[in-house]
Amino acid sequence: MREQPPRPRPGVHEGVILFSVGGFKFAIAAGAVNEIRGMEGLQDFTLRGISARVEKLRHTLERSGTTYFVVDAARHFHLSQSAPTRVLILRNSLAAVLVDSTDRMMDIFTLHALPRAFTGDERVWYRGLAVVNGEVVPVVNAGAFLSKAEQELLRDGLERVRGLAAV
Amino acid sequence: MIVEQENSYVLFPMGERRFALPAERVKELARPDHPQTFPHRTPLLTGVLVRRGKIVPVWDVAQLLVGPEAPPRKFYLIASRTVESHMEWTAIPVTGECELASLEPAQPESGQPAYISGVLTAGKENVAIVDLEKLLGAEVREQK
Repeated sequence: MREQPPRPRPGVHEGVILFSVGGFKFAIAAGAVNEIRGMEGLQDFTLRGISARVEKLRHTLERSGTTYFVVDAARHFHLSQSAPTRVLILRNSLAAVLVDSTDRMMDIFTLHALPRAFTGDERVWYRGLAVVNGEVVPVVNAGAFLSKAEQELLRDGLERVRGLAAV
Repeated sequence: MIVEQENSYVLFPMGERRFALPAERVKELARPDHPQTFPHRTPLLTGVLVRRGKIVPVWDVAQLLVGPEAPPRKFYLIASRTVESHMEWTAIPVTGECELASLEPAQPESGQPAYISGVLTAGKENVAIVDLEKLLGAEVREQK
């Protein structure tokens, strides 16, 4: 079996945003991010019976009439330390992501498949791996921060609470 | 590495013991390098190396083979391993220089772990032949 490393294909590239959490660098498709902002406006999230089921969710953010559920990326990736300062609001999603810092936008030309040796949650977390200046950077799956089922659960819970409050 | 003989094995040190892999499975012995890490949940994987344009997962099997007292690993033995019917490179940190030897394998003694597929006799030394698929597959399943 002759094994060929993936080669960059001319003209095939993807814009990504580099960000850091807990000392690790990650990339996310630039097209998956609607806005990057500071932590102002975050509200603590507690929803009895639901908070425990989505433990990585700590805050909500009201933005242009929409409530975003803010996922703590450190908890999502099971990292013990983090110092969040920035929020990535995801496009076409009710999810936002709390990260330590954002670095820069850049193009990647090759997305390496995650080696099959990796068999844990990372297979859902990552779309693949990119090599950026010799450094291996996981390219995150934006949809994994908060699944559609989790979004619906949260939205229903929030609407229920708001309905009770209005009575 | 070019290997033409049958029964060729790469003997690799792990502390005071040596183990063997079939030579046709071994791609290279890589110089010391720091594996790169990122968050994941797979037991035993300590990171990845970038070799010849490939991203190679690093399995630190020393604790499985010789226990927690294994000395520092000095080199990476890069071998191919079948995962879900696909061949994939795997880097195994080893504690010293490796040796290529042509030896006749024998059946392992009863009671050996399932990942020991045979034994080689090199002088007075018995060297266990490691089945990577069984070693890593079983351990990962057990630790999940």
